[in-house]
Amino acid sequence: MTVHTGYAGSAQAVRNKPPGLFQQMWASRSDYLYVLPAIVVMLVVIAYPIYYTVDLSFFRTPPGLQLRDKVFIGVDNYTTILSSDVFWRVTLNTAIWTLASTVIAFILGFASALALHRDFGGRAILRAILIIPWVISAVAASYIWKWIYHSDFGIIGAVMVQLGIVARQPNFIDNVNTVLPSLIVVNIWREFPFAMIMVMAGLQTVPDQLLRAAKVDGASAWQRFWHVTFPHLRSVSTVTILLLSVANFNSFIVPWIMTGGGPSNASHIWITHIYELAFGRQRWGVAAAYSVLLFIILMMLGYFYVKALSGNEKQEQGA
Amino acid sequence: MSVTSTLETPRSRKRIDGWRWAGRIFLFLMLLYTAVPMIWMLLTSIKSGFAAMQFPPQWWPAEPTLASYQKLLDPQNSVGQDFLRFFWNSLFVSVCTTVLAVVVAVPAAYAFSRFRFPGRRFLFFAVLLRNMFPAVIFLVPLFILMRLLGLVNTHGSLILTYLTFGLPLAIWLLKGFYDNIPVQLEQAARIDGATRFQAFFLIVMPLSVPGIIATAIYSFIGAWNEYIFAATFLTKNEQLTLPVGIQRFFSENTTDFPGLMAASFMMSVPVVVLFLILQKYFVRALTEGAVKH
Repeated sequence: MTVHTGYAGSAQAVRNKPPGLFQQMWASRSDYLYVLPAIVVMLVVIAYPIYYTVDLSFFRTPPGLQLRDKVFIGVDNYTTILSSDVFWRVTLNTAIWTLASTVIAFILGFASALALHRDFGGRAILRAILIIPWVISAVAASYIWKWIYHSDFGIIGAVMVQLGIVARQPNFIDNVNTVLPSLIVVNIWREFPFAMIMVMAGLQTVPDQLLRAAKVDGASAWQRFWHVTFPHLRSVSTVTILLLSVANFNSFIVPWIMTGGGPSNASHIWITHIYELAFGRQRWGVAAAYSVLLFIILMMLGYFYVKALSGNEKQEQGA
Repeated sequence: MSVTSTLETPRSRKRIDGWRWAGRIFLFLMLLYTAVPMIWMLLTSIKSGFAAMQFPPQWWPAEPTLASYQKLLDPQNSVGQDFLRFFWNSLFVSVCTTVLAVVVAVPAAYAFSRFRFPGRRFLFFAVLLRNMFPAVIFLVPLFILMRLLGLVNTHGSLILTYLTFGLPLAIWLLKGFYDNIPVQLEQAARIDGATRFQAFFLIVMPLSVPGIIATAIYSFIGAWNEYIFAATFLTKNEQLTLPVGIQRFFSENTTDFPGLMAASFMMSVPVVVLFLILQKYFVRALTEGAVKH
């Protein structure tokens, strides 16, 4: 703590021979103190559970959390999962849910950000209203929409009946065919503001001079957008889409509160299914194996995430 | 020059107007999409149970009543007692989480922003990657861990968990702010004889107040809205936080939609108010990290 080793990089650059890793680590030992609290907390609460989950996935477990009685069964849990019909149904649901939510939320957020970029009266208020769904609790949002979709007194169905589109109140979330799209609408409602905020920030990095120059040169609004604005938004868009897809892949509250995965698994996605396996049916081992598969998928997504972020950093250093 | 501009202007203005109108119509539709559910929540919450359950619906409450709110906020009533306790629990957990998150995230973010220690990049990506794992995966092992630590059925279990799960983003947000504070400011202070800690506390900390506010709001909102861990770690009714408490309340009163909407509204009020007052910081911090990284 007494040695001030900050900006170690610049000091080392002066030397001829780069010091070894341990030397570097020792030289910057005080730097680690700043990160230490964060690392300790995360090791306890994150690393241990990951280890534990992987371990548990190879065991048959008794119901209840009396896990001393678990039996080693190798990869049986994994084969059980991959050979079940529910697995494929849930995987398909998850794919539709993640893809549709991410793409539509991003497009709506992107378009809102562009439309809000120009100054007009009431812009700040409008922006604040559009962001509120993202701020409020997902539990509240789920109940609000459950009430909106209500099979007897729901407002959407009532409007449809009044306009003569349908004869009777449609049942949005108790119907195998409409439940997933209905929930996706709720999810997008909660998420498009995030994409909007991110793209709004990206728009601020587009140099005004370039836009003005393009205008002077006679570029149309569309040409200016496509050739000047859009390239500047590429990196923020990548990050946003990745963050959205991870968040959607990991969604839980909206499907869980609104349908609990039903009817007949039509709105079960991976996370709700894992939760039900573990806490509903107490099949801890199978749930753990599911979680490990999920880890693997997430790690692949994470690889692209990190790559996209490093790409940004390189661009920045190059500029 | 003047000739071209007279030729160009009318045509391009027409085009821009087309885009502007498209933008306005789009924003109007988005406003409907966003606001109608919230307005319907409010309108339902001031109806009686009978008035809410009509077909066709009463679009506008014929006899508006605050009965649902009175019931929720009345400490004499059992529903009100529960609701106020949930509210207080949520507040307690969220405030503790927020304070701890700031205390832990500030030094970490500063280090990630300024120092060049080996493993810095790896650690930072580890921090970000954490964001990717869903809470459900951690539920069982964390539940066992909490049992081991004797924290099951205490608010401590939630605070510890929220702290951990909020940290990655908190660090990320704050790092964006520190990156924007010129290193030269600290170097100048160091030359004047300040230690690194003095430079940090006296120069950098005050400048990063907007970032700290943003991080605090973010942690608060995250903790306030969290559902899964609270539903798993707490079993005693008197300890529940609002999201879980409201769910239990509704599973017992499945037809009290005005009550449910009033509860949803009240649960949303603190975070929305906080957000509206401090949105400048909140939005800026989130984008600072994303755009500048």
